[in-house]
Amino acid sequence: MLNQDKILKIIISTIILYFIILAFAIDQTSFMGFLKLQIMPARLINDFIETAGTGPSLLNSAIVGIIAMAIIWINKVEFSGPTFAPVLTMMGFALFGKTVVNILPIIFGVYIAAKLAKKEFRQYLIIALFGTALGPIVSLIGIELGLSLFTSIFLSIIIGIATGILLPSLAIAMLHLHQGYNLYNIGLTCGFLGLFFSGILEGLGVDLTTTISWNTGNSPILISIIPTISIVFIILGLLIGKKRAITNFLKIQKLSGRLPSDFMNFNSLDGALINSGLIGIIATIYVYAVGGAFNGPVIGAILTVMGFAAFGTNLRNSWPVILGVFIAVNLFGYDLNDPNALLAIIFVTTIAPLAGEFGISIGIIAGFLHFSMVLRTGSWHGFLNLYNNGFAGGLTATLMIALIQWFKDNILNIDFFKFRK
Amino acid sequence: MNQKNYIMHLIGELSSYILEGEPKRMVISLHQEKDGIHLCILDEKEHSDEEIERLNMEMNSKKRPELSGYYGAMVGKDLLGTARLDLLGWQVKHATVSKTSEGIKIDLWIGGDSFDDRNFTIPKEA
Repeated sequence: MLNQDKILKIIISTIILYFIILAFAIDQTSFMGFLKLQIMPARLINDFIETAGTGPSLLNSAIVGIIAMAIIWINKVEFSGPTFAPVLTMMGFALFGKTVVNILPIIFGVYIAAKLAKKEFRQYLIIALFGTALGPIVSLIGIELGLSLFTSIFLSIIIGIATGILLPSLAIAMLHLHQGYNLYNIGLTCGFLGLFFSGILEGLGVDLTTTISWNTGNSPILISIIPTISIVFIILGLLIGKKRAITNFLKIQKLSGRLPSDFMNFNSLDGALINSGLIGIIATIYVYAVGGAFNGPVIGAILTVMGFAAFGTNLRNSWPVILGVFIAVNLFGYDLNDPNALLAIIFVTTIAPLAGEFGISIGIIAGFLHFSMVLRTGSWHGFLNLYNNGFAGGLTATLMIALIQWFKDNILNIDFFKFRK
Repeated sequence: MNQKNYIMHLIGELSSYILEGEPKRMVISLHQEKDGIHLCILDEKEHSDEEIERLNMEMNSKKRPELSGYYGAMVGKDLLGTARLDLLGWQVKHATVSKTSEGIKIDLWIGGDSFDDRNFTIPKEA
C-alpha cells in the first residue's frame, strides 16, 4: 500500500512528465527555447508563453518543478499540503517569471540563513521555495541593466543570495502582522523587501516601469492543461478515499484554512485532491465564461490555487473573497477578462482564511479591499515581486486583523472581568 | 528565541485554549528537569472523551521541522481566532492529556535536540 508521501511524489512527477511531453510535442526546439528563456526579463507580467513560446515555457516549468521536488526530497521532508503547494506554485510561476537561473541564488541564500541561525535547512525549506518569488530581481540585474558580463553575473548572484539571507527573518515577522490569515505570506514578505530594492534601484536611476506581456492565443493544448490535471485529481481522490472521499471533502470545507492548515494532515489526501480538482475545474469554467486567456499567468495562477487547495484554500472560504473582488471589478469599471481582474479573482483566495474564520461579510469586504490594493502594489515594488496578490492580500489581511482585534478587545469584551457563573 | 520567550509562548497558546472554555480555575505549573522542562496545565471544566482524544493526537503529532521552524513562530503570539495546539505538537518532545476528577490535565515535556527521555518524569506507560 502506497503512503501519502509516495502517492504525492508520483502525482507531482507525473505532472512534470506531462509538461515535458507536451513541451516537446508542441515544439521540437523547446530545449533551445528553454535556454533562451533563462536570459529573458522576468518582472510582472511577463508571460513566457508570449515571449518564449509554449514549449520552452512548459519545459521551464517542469525543470523548476524538478528542482523543487529534489530540494524537498534531499532534505527528507515529507510530501503533504505544505510541500505540495510550493511545488505547484513554483511550476505555475515558472510560466511567467521564475526561471532555473533566477531561483537558485535565492534558495542558496536561504540555505546560508539557516546555517547562520544554526538551524537545519529544512526548517526554512518552505521559505526557500516560496521565496523564489523575488527571482525577477536576479534577472533584472543579470540581464536588463546592461552591465558587463562579469559584473552582471556576479552582482545578480550576490543580490539573489542576499535576498535569500534576508527572507527568513522577514517572513516570520510578516506572519505576525496578519496572524496567518494571508496564505501567501512570502508574497507580503517579498513585496515588503521589494519596496527597498525598487527604492534603491530607482535612486540609482534605473527605470522600473514595465509593459504587460499577455498571450491571448488560447491554444487547445493550453486550455486543456488545468482540466486534465483537475479531473485526474478528482478521480484519484475518489479512488483513494472510496466511500469516505466525499465526506472527507465536505469536512475540509469546514476548516478555516488559516496558516498552517495542512488539509492532507488535518483531514485526508483524498479530500484534499478532490478539493484541488474542483477548484481547478471551477476556475477554468470562470476564465472560459468571461472570455479570459489561458496563458502562462492564468494557468500559473490556477495551478497555485490548486496547490493551496491542500494548504488553506477551500470552496467555502473562497467564494466570499472572490465575490468581493467581483464587486470591486464591476464598480471600478474593469472588464472581467482584464489581466489584473482575472488574476485578482483567482489569487484573492490568498485571504480566504479571513472568510473561513470570521464569516462571509468580512470575506466580501476583504476581497473588495484586496482588488483596490492590488492595482497599486505592483508599481510600489517595481514589479519585482511575482506574488503581487500575496503582497496586496497581506496588507489587506493586516488591516482586517487589526480592526477585528481592536473590535473584539474593545467593543465586544468591555466587561472582561466578568466570570462564568 | 531564548528559553524564557519560548516557554511564555507555549504557555500563552495553552492558556488561550483552556480559557476559551471559560473555566473558573486554571493552574499552570512549570518544573525544570534534568534535560528540559515539564509544563503542566489544569482546569476544572468538563471535557468530552472525543476532545481529549483529539488533543492527544494533535499534541503528539508527527514532528514537522519544515513547519515548526517557520509557522511555529506563531505559537502563543498570534492569538486572534481559535487556539491551535497542533502548532505545539510539532515542538514538544512528549505530551499527555488526561481527565482529572474535575477537569483536564495537559502535561508537556520540552527539551533540546540532545533530549534524553530517561532524564524526564514521563510516565512509563506513555
